[in-house]
Amino acid sequence: MNVYLDYQSSKPVDPRVIKAMNPYFNELYGNPSSLHSVGDEATEALDKSRSKISGLIQAEPDEIIFTSGATESNNLALIGYALKNKSQGKHIIISETEHISIHNTAKFLMKSGFEVSKVPVDHYGQVHLNKIRERLTDNTLLVSIGYASNEVGTIQPIKEIGRLCRKKKIAFHTDAVAAEGLLALDVQKDPIDLMTLSSNDIYGPKGLGVLYVRKGIRLMPQIIGGGQENGIRSGTENLPAIAGMARAAEIVMLEREQEAKKLQSFRDTLIKEILKNIPRSYLNGHPENRLPNNAHFRFDGIEGESLLLSLNDKGISVSTGSACSSKTLEPSHTLIAMGLLHEEAHGSLELTVGRFTEKSDIESVIKALPEVVDRLRKLSPIY
Amino acid sequence: MKSTSYSKKVLDHFRNPRNVGTLIGKDIAKGTVGNPVCGDLMEFTLKVKNNRIQDIKFKTFGCGSAVATASMVTELAKGKTLDEALKITRQDVADELDGLPPVKMHCSNLAADALKAAIKNYKEKQKKKHSEKKEVKDPLKKEIPGEKEFLGKGVYHKVIEPSLLKEKRILIQDKGKESRELAETLARYSPRVVLLTQEKSKNVAANLKAKLKQSNVKILFESELVGILGLNEVEKVKIHDLDEDNTYELFVDAVVI
Repeated sequence: MNVYLDYQSSKPVDPRVIKAMNPYFNELYGNPSSLHSVGDEATEALDKSRSKISGLIQAEPDEIIFTSGATESNNLALIGYALKNKSQGKHIIISETEHISIHNTAKFLMKSGFEVSKVPVDHYGQVHLNKIRERLTDNTLLVSIGYASNEVGTIQPIKEIGRLCRKKKIAFHTDAVAAEGLLALDVQKDPIDLMTLSSNDIYGPKGLGVLYVRKGIRLMPQIIGGGQENGIRSGTENLPAIAGMARAAEIVMLEREQEAKKLQSFRDTLIKEILKNIPRSYLNGHPENRLPNNAHFRFDGIEGESLLLSLNDKGISVSTGSACSSKTLEPSHTLIAMGLLHEEAHGSLELTVGRFTEKSDIESVIKALPEVVDRLRKLSPIY
Repeated sequence: MKSTSYSKKVLDHFRNPRNVGTLIGKDIAKGTVGNPVCGDLMEFTLKVKNNRIQDIKFKTFGCGSAVATASMVTELAKGKTLDEALKITRQDVADELDGLPPVKMHCSNLAADALKAAIKNYKEKQKKKHSEKKEVKDPLKKEIPGEKEFLGKGVYHKVIEPSLLKEKRILIQDKGKESRELAETLARYSPRVVLLTQEKSKNVAANLKAKLKQSNVKILFESELVGILGLNEVEKVKIHDLDEDNTYELFVDAVVI
């Protein structure tokens, strides 16, 4: 049995995407920077792809910058904006629950003379506008708040945060990786200046990310070279991946609503059944305002890595916020910021469903979990 | 940690742990090491006869290697004299398990330590020496940094209207019966109520613990509130763990002192 409920960590590439990528390996292999006709074909493909991807978030094609992935996009957004605009201020605001690439980039900027404030979240992992407002100073340059938590799935009030920043003439960046493909992203409706996207998170290939840069927002390039991507991100474009992401974006535009509905019904079944079947189990994150693919739990008295290993023995792949499963041996900073004690953060389980999840996968984990939790609780001195 | 990076032996002991449980009786010695607040917790109970470990059982809250190392230590210790058992090192445990991932060596350290603690407990019992009693300080006497600054802005000395703390994360400093009852009351309004006490777990009556657990109140034993932090109102507290002697932060919205 092979049940994969860890779509947040990695997604398979959609076969339709692979098909769209294939010609770009040895048929359309030109370099868009070349002046000959092979290069022209590549330029045309690049332009078309850029246009399709921009449609995913209602942006203009020339507001799309290709990068090597979401981590690079987050680096470019924060460092690129901070360095280019430091004459206007040196204060940056992020939230306590940002992705590690935002946290560590902010830490890097602190070492480079910038000041960073972290906005706390409530017990659902949600940011409150007044907590941002009270941290704003005349020196504030940039606010970066993720669209939704990649861990517990809580969705942030992005429109309101964007409006606040716009009013105060502060740039607003959002890492939308967890939400893309699931929620309708629209940079026309929502006042967002910089947005991070990733190809793999919409079932495209890995190694490609996007930074949306609103017209008029200026960045200091972090990779210097031949001046590709309007001089903001040099390096020959990864055309096979870009063509793949364009196809992935097309599929999202056609199928997102229906897919999100299906995922949400899986999610709701998981939440309902697991909370019902397992005593002293709790849902982490917001009960309603959460991504349709995310079900995040904690169980009193047990530790997540043991849980993960036990489920793995049954052919079920999942994630946990436990310290023992991380490289740093620190528990998830998101769960700690929500006010959980370390022992509670240790006992967490993240289930994320996706495009290829089937009803039988949901049934398998619902069936396997009570027995596994029970066995580990029998071993536990604190249950 | 990838399950594939554990040896076959580690996985075997994780899947089929030996000697799980708790020995009960007057002559049973117990050793506990670690703290669930900051990581793993391991507990061994021993039965000693003629200076030899006749029986040993364990319970653990921890990762795969914590379970496996505890299980292995029980196998290594069973039948050994106390002096022989005291010589078991973390390296011995790791070697017997065909190695552990480097990052996990702290877990096997814990298993050997917990065994030593249990043996020490046995020897102390033999000498009829009682462990020294920790002086419980009166939490009322000391003002906590931040207490004055945030009074009325998340710090309360009294809660008159519990519904105003609805959905808030609340920390209550234990001052006896009254605060424990308040914890129970507030747990009806908020999913996050933590009772902080300097008492050791074993000194708190089991029925009280069960009652608080039932009403979903978390208890932090052997802990002291040492700071209240925030910008305009309370956002987090600093807690000193008296047992482990370390200080950590907990995100809360309200503190009742």
